[in-house]
Amino acid sequence: MTTTTTTSANAELRKRVEKLRSLPSSPAALQPLLDLLRRPPDEIELSQVVQLVSYENTIAAQLLRIANSPLYARARPAESIQSAIFTLGIQRIEDILLSNCFGNLVPGDKWVVAPAVFWRHSFGCALVCREFAEQIDYYDPDRAYLAGLLHDLGIIVNSLAYTDEYRQVLTDAVQNGRPLHEQERESLGFTHCDSGVILGKTWQLPEVVCEVIEWHHDVERVPSGSPLVFLVHLGDLLCRLRGLGYGYEEWRAIDLAADPAWAELARHCPKLATIDLARFTLDLDADVVRITKLVDTIFTLH
Amino acid sequence: MPAETQTQNPAASAPRDADDRDPIYVKLRDLVYQACGIYHSEEKLYLLAGACKRRLGSSKAKDPRQYLDLISNPSTRVFELRELLNEITIGETCLFRSQPQLTALQNVILPELIATRGKIGLRRLRIWSAGCSTGEEPHTLSMFLLEQSEKLLKGWTFEISATDLNDRSIETAKAGVYGTYALRNTTDFYKHKYFNPADGEKLQVKDEVRARITFSRLNLSDDTKMLFMKGIDLVFCCNVLIYFDIPSKRKVVQHFFSSLQAPGYFFLGHAESLYQITDQFRLVHLPGTTTYLKAVPGSEGTAKP
Repeated sequence: MTTTTTTSANAELRKRVEKLRSLPSSPAALQPLLDLLRRPPDEIELSQVVQLVSYENTIAAQLLRIANSPLYARARPAESIQSAIFTLGIQRIEDILLSNCFGNLVPGDKWVVAPAVFWRHSFGCALVCREFAEQIDYYDPDRAYLAGLLHDLGIIVNSLAYTDEYRQVLTDAVQNGRPLHEQERESLGFTHCDSGVILGKTWQLPEVVCEVIEWHHDVERVPSGSPLVFLVHLGDLLCRLRGLGYGYEEWRAIDLAADPAWAELARHCPKLATIDLARFTLDLDADVVRITKLVDTIFTLH
Repeated sequence: MPAETQTQNPAASAPRDADDRDPIYVKLRDLVYQACGIYHSEEKLYLLAGACKRRLGSSKAKDPRQYLDLISNPSTRVFELRELLNEITIGETCLFRSQPQLTALQNVILPELIATRGKIGLRRLRIWSAGCSTGEEPHTLSMFLLEQSEKLLKGWTFEISATDLNDRSIETAKAGVYGTYALRNTTDFYKHKYFNPADGEKLQVKDEVRARITFSRLNLSDDTKMLFMKGIDLVFCCNVLIYFDIPSKRKVVQHFFSSLQAPGYFFLGHAESLYQITDQFRLVHLPGTTTYLKAVPGSEGTAKP
């Protein structure tokens, strides 16, 4: 995308930032959670996780319900937090905690994209980005997971700050089979990238994550040229074309290897040139099934 | 999502066993993928396990481990791979097998072809169903395109060349008579509009659908005859190339490439891949499916994200 946000829309956006200031501050559990997410799995201590889970008493109950749901088919029910954590695995706990953080942040009537749909895309993209990172020897797959998870934070901002207008944007995008950010730019004058980065900075998310949030739909203009932006851009595209989009199909043919992000990413990760993309895509379909089940379990038991 | 859901395939509806997760099947999967280009992701591994178990009865192997030896052994490999592939693809054939492919044709591919071909004033589409077996695929395409002829394809004509190696399959295909199993994905709308009642519960495809298709015998390895296929817009070749060894596969794919006009698309079965077979075609992602594109020389691909 090369279209720039117009000046009048910029002014409008600035005006509306005032509105954003009234957004709830970063959820209490978010910072420790993000710290946890940044650590390699073998360095995470169970006690820290238990501590996180105890931030809110409803979360513990929720974890137990999910661990005992048919999705995990245990022989004996999990009765303690510890056994629930073992059943679910650290990654799932983090996912559940995070969706819970945002669940409390956004009132039920303000979700424009259904929360289950939003999390399917976010967790899906996180997982794809990490697996993609591993396949091409990107040095920090966990950072890729985090960036994939939070790249669409702006959709939450738009839902909160412009609820009714944003509903119309989504309706129009669905009707035209258009990518959401294109419809946003046309209808609102700015995208979820523009609004997402404002919240990301307010919450002091890591700089590279803010970059991903801001530039993942506009990779040709990213100032720093961080490979993570290109990686998330490609992971996001793959998800949206494999059933983990925003609840509708985009009518597009995408030649990922011809995408500008592909060439840029290949400069940093030469292994990209030899990746078996067809196989990667079929593996992704298996992930889609797993993620859909997980998210649906979280939301039916919420 | 792939249209070939578990319930549509009798081989797939077999109960899943706990030992389907045996790492031996991952090895078998990788071997089959390397040799044949058909891939079973973790979610679909049980299908491969099922096919393998059915082969245990008639092969010399007593357990999956011995079966892997049979597949790895150069003297038994070719025969056994073929038998295994037959088990893998059994029951996959039916009309309207891949809905994501048809949806992508309607929303993405046809509009693009209409725009590019329309520019040079050629309002005709040529489609090749290669390895059409008993005709399910070309009949599906014919009905689907007829349905578009008052919409997207208004003022356009289309013709479908359907070829297969097997004379008997072609005779069956020409008759266009299908039972309930082959029609399990066909909606009532299509059944009423494009079929006549035949024996018992069977239905026969109407003449207007068959009139758009030319059936003929063709060996995909026959280089001379393959050279005659020209000016094609879309090639469909599902679960056929998996039976070819890698050098033959490369040659056939090269023929498909030459037969297509650019931009033109080459559709494979949903689990098939051309990894390391060709770098001429470009892998293109469509909603819920993939295809291979013969791009216009000098252009990098189709739509930019």
